[in-house]
Amino acid sequence: MYDKEKQLIDAYMRGTVSRRSMIKGLGAMGMTAATAGVLVNAAATQALAQNGFDWKKHSGTTVKLLLNKHPYTDAMIANLDNFKALTGMDVVYDVFPEDVYFDKVTAALSSGSSEYDAFMTGAYMTWTYGPAGWIDDLNEYIFDETKTNPDYDWGDMLEGVRKSCAWNGQPGGELGSDDAKQWCIPWGYEQNNLTYNGSMLAKAGVAVPTNIDELVEAAAAAQAANDGIYGIGVRGSRSWATIHPGFLSGYSNFDQKDLNVSDDGTLSAAMNTKVSKAFHRKWVKMIQDSGAPDWSTHTWYQVGTDVGAGKSAMIYDADILGYFMNGGGNAMAGELAYAPFAANPAASAPTPNIWIWSLSMSTFSKQKDAAWHFLQWASGPEHGLFGASQMDFVNPVRASVWEDAGFRKRLSDSYPGYVEMHDVSAPGASIKFTAQPLFFDLTTEWAATLQKMVASQVPVDEGLDQLAESVNAQLKDAGLG
Amino acid sequence: MDQTSTLEKVLRRVAISLVILFFMFPIFWIVLMSFQTNETILRVPPSIVFEPTLSNYVALITGRLETQAGTLEVNFMSNLWNSLFLSAGSVAVGLILGIPAAYAFGRIKFRGSEDIAFTLLSFRFAPPLLVLLPLTIYFQKIGLADTYFGLIWVYQLIVLPLILWIVRGYFEDIPADIEYAYRIAGHSWFSTFRKVALPLAMPGIAAAGLLAFIFAWNNFIFALVLASADKQPVTVGALAFVTASGIQYGQVAAGIVLSILPTLALALYAQRYLVEGLSLGAVKG
Repeated sequence: MYDKEKQLIDAYMRGTVSRRSMIKGLGAMGMTAATAGVLVNAAATQALAQNGFDWKKHSGTTVKLLLNKHPYTDAMIANLDNFKALTGMDVVYDVFPEDVYFDKVTAALSSGSSEYDAFMTGAYMTWTYGPAGWIDDLNEYIFDETKTNPDYDWGDMLEGVRKSCAWNGQPGGELGSDDAKQWCIPWGYEQNNLTYNGSMLAKAGVAVPTNIDELVEAAAAAQAANDGIYGIGVRGSRSWATIHPGFLSGYSNFDQKDLNVSDDGTLSAAMNTKVSKAFHRKWVKMIQDSGAPDWSTHTWYQVGTDVGAGKSAMIYDADILGYFMNGGGNAMAGELAYAPFAANPAASAPTPNIWIWSLSMSTFSKQKDAAWHFLQWASGPEHGLFGASQMDFVNPVRASVWEDAGFRKRLSDSYPGYVEMHDVSAPGASIKFTAQPLFFDLTTEWAATLQKMVASQVPVDEGLDQLAESVNAQLKDAGLG
Repeated sequence: MDQTSTLEKVLRRVAISLVILFFMFPIFWIVLMSFQTNETILRVPPSIVFEPTLSNYVALITGRLETQAGTLEVNFMSNLWNSLFLSAGSVAVGLILGIPAAYAFGRIKFRGSEDIAFTLLSFRFAPPLLVLLPLTIYFQKIGLADTYFGLIWVYQLIVLPLILWIVRGYFEDIPADIEYAYRIAGHSWFSTFRKVALPLAMPGIAAAGLLAFIFAWNNFIFALVLASADKQPVTVGALAFVTASGIQYGQVAAGIVLSILPTLALALYAQRYLVEGLSLGAVKG
């Protein structure tokens, strides 16, 4: 590295120069933003090496990861050389497409394979992996000062996200309770809010909706005013993934739950209340009036592709889906904007349900301490800031990254409203489902019921009563109800 | 004498054209997509007029995919090679094991022959995941996990029953008298098998081999569960273009075109064997 560049980076590390000034300075010296980011992070890694922690303890060890093909993975791989230099360890990885990723994870874990030391997972999946004894409680590492570096700063993780990755294993047990086990460490996460096409809404003369009634009206108005589009994109396939994004976020904003947990710990269906039925009626009408014509086949991909291609005016789905669709290669790149969404007019703020891409450690790993070295680096503040500011490691799970002025400016410049949306909805963001082993089965049935309601095969009230009856029967059969 | 009227000829040709159009349209559309960018593929309304680009093929062949998130590494050609190696290897092993077995089941009546043949056929009915999880444990213990050898062995679950049952039917259709005549002339059993039965059964063997190749090519669950990312076939590799940040439709289409080429070439080459072999092998008496 040239002296001038090094001096500038050192000045930044000492805190005498701001990050933005330093990047600007490096740019003036002919360095690209990406290269500057990697170099800055190399300097941050050097600082990390001097924090008194024995990073070289597992030098020469190789850990193997199982990863999903995802921008978070790309960000980690782009920064991996710094970890290798820091620890003297090697990291090898298998990256599988998302469509088959969880089959691979399940096969590896259920066969007791020691091939992979750590892997990416969703928090919901740990409700299966944890009680099965396939993954370790990471509290044993996080709070062990001999294993975790002093700058890891676990308290920097957003509380709702951190707690959503912890469960005590009791069906219905509160996420993040005092006796909860930390089955996974949050890596990157998604809130569910509105991504909208401003010009389509403007053409219809409607403002950005702020509650479910306005959303139903705005979607219909946008559809009527713009040729060849539909008003609102939400998922509709017969899958648990239809329930967890916008739908559950809006539903929980009315203080509604999927299941009741009684004092004796038994579970029962909670989706056929009066308030729930009213919400379902509005949701169903919204899809019937302004949803995609082939809504019942829509997954993450169709919802995102359509808003990116200008085939829909809005989506009520993952914020990062809207983020990705605002990038190059999409017809609507640069045309999309973001807004927090509280479905309940009486609610003070949104309460988005969240999906968390997380990191877990395999119980069958033969080198867990070395794997933890990797996990604490990959989920640490330095990599978080590098990934968020230089790559697409968004949404970051650390408060310190969200406070970084450079990161906020980068987002605000290209993604209007994104930072404000996150700030408003983050305090209420958490997993809203009840943790229990039948999660995937019951939620898929909920999606199937929703399909019948939208297709007018069953009235909303009757459909929810039938669903509740079926859910209660399944819970009883499983000894949970 | 041809008594077909002109009208009938025209109608017949129109009907054939419609059928061809119906079946070939998806392939035609995929080929068109493979020469387009994502933006032109997704435009509203869709159009067949576009400026063709080779960028999708270049990305697959060079292994470097340019996206809005930067340059990504893709291993599609390695996936293609894996598919070729696994399918060809497993069909070769399947033929070596299956042809003598098919001959034995077709010609020699011995106690339990039908039971053994049906047991082999039953491999086709087993749900793959049910078989694969215990196999994963065994393979790890004996060092076969994540090896091409282990995968080719497991692929026999697909190819061996297919080869055995198709070729068996074919051997049974060859009149035994031809072989008896050859044996009476003083030739050995093995010589009869090699010089008489095998050449006569060749169309059936080619058909069985081709079908087994197609079945092996289309499989993805075996390698997915039993092997690392570097040994995955094209059926898994093609899914890499479906990511959280969007579907790369152009690359998916180019991947499909490249992945059907080997099977298409083989099918065209062995077409006459396939039709003849399947039809003859299927008729008893």
